[in-house]
Amino acid sequence: MAETATPAKAKVLVVDDSSLVRLYYRSALETAGFEVKQAINGIEAMERILSESFDLVIVDVNMPRMDGFTFLRSLRSGMADVATLPALMISTESGEQDMAEARVAGANFYLVKPVAEAELVRHVCVLTGVAL
Amino acid sequence: MDDSKGGSSFAVHISPEQVQRFCEFLYRRTGMSFAESKRYFIDRRLEDRITATGSSSFQEYFSLLRTDADQEIEHLINSFTVNETYFYREEHQLRCMTTSLLDAIVRQKKLGATLRIWSIPCSTGEEPYSIALWLMENWPQVDSYNIEIVGSDIDTRALKAATEGIYGDRALMRLSRDIVGRYFGPVTGGNYQIDEGLRNSIEFTRANLIDTKDMTQYRDFDLIFCRNVLIYFDDASRRLAAENLYDCLRPGGYICLGHSESMSRISPLFRVSRFPDAIVYQRPEADHG
Amino acid sequence: MPLIRGKGGASGETSGSQQAALDSPDADNRWTAARALAGQADAVPALAVALAREPIPRVREAMMTALIRIGNAASIEVLLPYLRSQDAGVRAAAIEALQALPDAIAPFMTPLLNDGDSDVRLLATELARNMGGSEATRLLCELIDHEHHPNVCAAAIDVLTEVGTPDALPTLERCAVRFAATPFLPFAVAVAMSRISGEES
Repeated sequence: MAETATPAKAKVLVVDDSSLVRLYYRSALETAGFEVKQAINGIEAMERILSESFDLVIVDVNMPRMDGFTFLRSLRSGMADVATLPALMISTESGEQDMAEARVAGANFYLVKPVAEAELVRHVCVLTGVAL
Repeated sequence: MDDSKGGSSFAVHISPEQVQRFCEFLYRRTGMSFAESKRYFIDRRLEDRITATGSSSFQEYFSLLRTDADQEIEHLINSFTVNETYFYREEHQLRCMTTSLLDAIVRQKKLGATLRIWSIPCSTGEEPYSIALWLMENWPQVDSYNIEIVGSDIDTRALKAATEGIYGDRALMRLSRDIVGRYFGPVTGGNYQIDEGLRNSIEFTRANLIDTKDMTQYRDFDLIFCRNVLIYFDDASRRLAAENLYDCLRPGGYICLGHSESMSRISPLFRVSRFPDAIVYQRPEADHG
Repeated sequence: MPLIRGKGGASGETSGSQQAALDSPDADNRWTAARALAGQADAVPALAVALAREPIPRVREAMMTALIRIGNAASIEVLLPYLRSQDAGVRAAAIEALQALPDAIAPFMTPLLNDGDSDVRLLATELARNMGGSEATRLLCELIDHEHHPNVCAAAIDVLTEVGTPDALPTLERCAVRFAATPFLPFAVAVAMSRISGEES
């Protein structure tokens, strides 16, 4: 990845156990000017969030050892300086109940997989307050 | 798919895609990841392991690695990490102990209460002795509590060496001459032996992290150092060891892993806790439904 | 390091009394009982009943660990239904547990990959990751060739990226054509194919 002259628009943490999904999101977001870090499940995500500051976390639901809902609930009820971190939840489920559960767990927005690059970038811009 | 094993006399060619495959496996399995700038480092290590295992291709090596044949994962991880033991190794965790963890722990205890700290595996004793030394040198309240330090290992020869407490320059390299002077005495061969008082203050025992029956004898620890061993275990053993360690901790007790290790690759039982000097893990105070 | 099979329950307690303790109103007692029953095949039915009504996650973990350490077909049968749970945490725990038993799960793979529930098929692809390359490739290609659900294909492709052999290439090509208009799938296939055929260079 070449050094960019301009600083990143915002810093995003991508959390998904699939390396292909992480690669896909990272490539779309880096092209759009974001700095991207990754984690494989909710536990690693928590470690990252407690170690460096992010503007947004993108979190999958189905991950081993700690799923997205458990992670989100833990984030929202945990240390005050990270509890309000905006969270975009991504799931394979498209039902009303799942969207409602995401809202209750503390997701700011919810997308259904598979997510198109343009759609992802657009929502990340909105959630980080960055102009498209 | 497997070709016959024979050492290859020429370097095996590894394509960028193969290195990617390898890196993703390593990241998923251990959490270790490397910046682009470290690629040469990875390529070299990978070539070394392919040669060392007598693999005639990357694919043959990767199949071997995925099945962990001949403990290849252990050899691979060892080639990526420096695994020497010495006094005051990973000092930031010792600092975390005295600047953050013990304060949290003693909040629940009366003066004079017992504090139990476990170093497992303790190997040849550098870690439990370091804990004791560090406490004496850095914790103002060290005399206000009854501190029990236990050092355990599966290797009885290492334990014997630990009880003898004799070390060379390399093990002592991080200690100031002042500390060596005050806590160690010279012995033959240019080595140093740690004072008898300290040798007697650590309880050394043989224990096996994945033997539940063994482990259930250890109770009520406030702090456990379990560094640089779980990374080598297979999935099922890591899970079991974590469960055993959880059981040995008091509710609210803390556990420190090695610098390349993460509970994300081990177990969901613990809560991630951030302190100024380190990220450690905590057994929750209470269950949540 | 290989897993050392436990020698059985805590000294002095019989399997029967530990199984009864799985019923205790105290979570610590249930935790201790589950751990003591690890490796005891006759405890599977009692563990099954206890697991079904266990509300505390760490106790659930210990019960699943006990089943893993028994590791026979009966334990797998107990764990499998939890792949269908509405609770993402329970599903995560179940898949973790099943992943620890690659040999025991082998006979179940074909039925799982043909399950009527796409969520189950999706989770089952992960279980192929611990298998040998040829067998995993065979199973996952068979799935992909008949699969309509893009997310299930995506999950299978992810596993093939790590373990797939060149035998997977024709299936992957066909998959990319079928899902040409679907987000992510063409990208996933391209990466998988380049990782797999990287073997041939």
